[in-house]
Amino acid sequence: MTENKSNEIKIKTVNLSFYYNRLHVLKDISVEFPERSISAIVGPSGQGKSTFLMIFNRLWETIPDARMEGEAFIRLKNKWVNIYDRSISLPELRRSAGMVFQTPNPLPMSIFKNISFPLKLSGVIEKQAVDEKVEFALKQAFLWEEVKDRLSDDARSLSGGQQQRLCIARALTLDPEILLLDEPTSFLDAGSGQIIEDLLLSLKESCTILLISHYMDQIRRIADRVMELSGDTSNNS
Amino acid sequence: MKERFIEIFIKSFAWLSGLLLLSAAFVIIGFLLVKGVPTLSLSLIFGDTSPADALLLRRQVLTGLFPAMAGTCLLVLLSVGLATPVGLAAGIYLAEYSRGNLKSFFSLFYDILAGVPSIVIGLFGFSLAISLHHYVKEIYPCLLISALALAFLVLPYLIRTTQFAMESIPSETRLTAPALGATKLQNIAYVLFPRSLPGIASGVILAIGRCAEDTAVIMLTGVVAAAGIPGSLLSAYEALPFYIYYISSQYRDAYELQTGYGAAVILLIICACLFLAAFYLKNQLMDRMLYRQ
Repeated sequence: MTENKSNEIKIKTVNLSFYYNRLHVLKDISVEFPERSISAIVGPSGQGKSTFLMIFNRLWETIPDARMEGEAFIRLKNKWVNIYDRSISLPELRRSAGMVFQTPNPLPMSIFKNISFPLKLSGVIEKQAVDEKVEFALKQAFLWEEVKDRLSDDARSLSGGQQQRLCIARALTLDPEILLLDEPTSFLDAGSGQIIEDLLLSLKESCTILLISHYMDQIRRIADRVMELSGDTSNNS
Repeated sequence: MKERFIEIFIKSFAWLSGLLLLSAAFVIIGFLLVKGVPTLSLSLIFGDTSPADALLLRRQVLTGLFPAMAGTCLLVLLSVGLATPVGLAAGIYLAEYSRGNLKSFFSLFYDILAGVPSIVIGLFGFSLAISLHHYVKEIYPCLLISALALAFLVLPYLIRTTQFAMESIPSETRLTAPALGATKLQNIAYVLFPRSLPGIASGVILAIGRCAEDTAVIMLTGVVAAAGIPGSLLSAYEALPFYIYYISSQYRDAYELQTGYGAAVILLIICACLFLAAFYLKNQLMDRMLYRQ
């Protein structure tokens, strides 16, 4: 594992603990992630890896009976921000920290509408700007050539690998500073997984990527550093 | 061996039950068509008025079903139009905003409302019209009062189908938009609501059917045997189900009874057209919200 020392810290947690009801899933985690790198998060099932990712876009707050202690910081637009501060706007935080789930989750709409959806949410409606953004995001996600002639087709008609790249493209339309990926290749065949890995390597030039993965060979190929979440401790290497 | 027998028995019983229902529906519709279709004619609908004059409202139709058809259509459109926005909003509230005890309380209340017999709602509408008459002399039992009462009758269907349609959306879809920075309202407007449209449409179709066929409510709130096309929301009106009820209990000769069957066939046709319209509207809305660039 090589780590580029010159990269500044982008994300950090301080004494972070997490509970589902009485169940104590994350215990006192203080960790830092450098910018423009891929950090892999590994560990057995049920140790809160997905929960850990959701700390950074606060998506866990929609889960009933969940509770967090400690603090989490992200350096957004070169300013350290406590993302659990009252002044933080949730939609803005989630636009800066895009998330891609394990199962591809295209919305039941056309390919174009899926990609332009985050733009619509943030109020970008000027037709030409939207078109350009959509094309750019699809190119960034290595998907443009495959879908440029069928943008108004239902996104669910794409193959699994294409759907996952669509979801990555969708997360990219708002130029996020951070990408949170929860086992993005686990439901894909080797070929599609390979494309996603290449894609992630090209994206780390502009994003800080946190990636949950079960595949040690995948981690060896693309991760700059590894964090292990297990029973009581978290180890960094 | 025994288990296999039970399995075969249950399977055939389920199959027969399905068949029974289907054949019952066929028998009823077939019976209506056999009895009713021969009476269908322009004169059944327009009497001795010329169709063009009747449709352009230049002359009143005195002996045909045209005023009753117009009354039923107006009544359905008015009551479903009044009930739908309220029903959708209440359903969305129940599914997305209310929690805990308050939600159980509201659910119980809507279930009770769903269980109120239509004649009681009719009585309530009648009392409402009478008490309003004390303050505004123009208000009698009329089209508007009927529509309001029917709207209350169908509200529980709309609320429940909307709620269930929204609640049955899988959690991956539910989290997609928030993860992309959607506010709660944006999530509802752009994802959850369009996704629920098929379920909501079936609720609206149920409501249309209920409004078109109801006799108990309208009998007490403004329908009459002969009123012509209603001139305003505050006038009395005619309606097909009431005509069928009236003619089948008061007929003077075989032909009049026959026209009752004719009216029933026309009522079925009107319902089918309204269902198709609701379906078309749903498809257009979904296409607009989800696919068109």
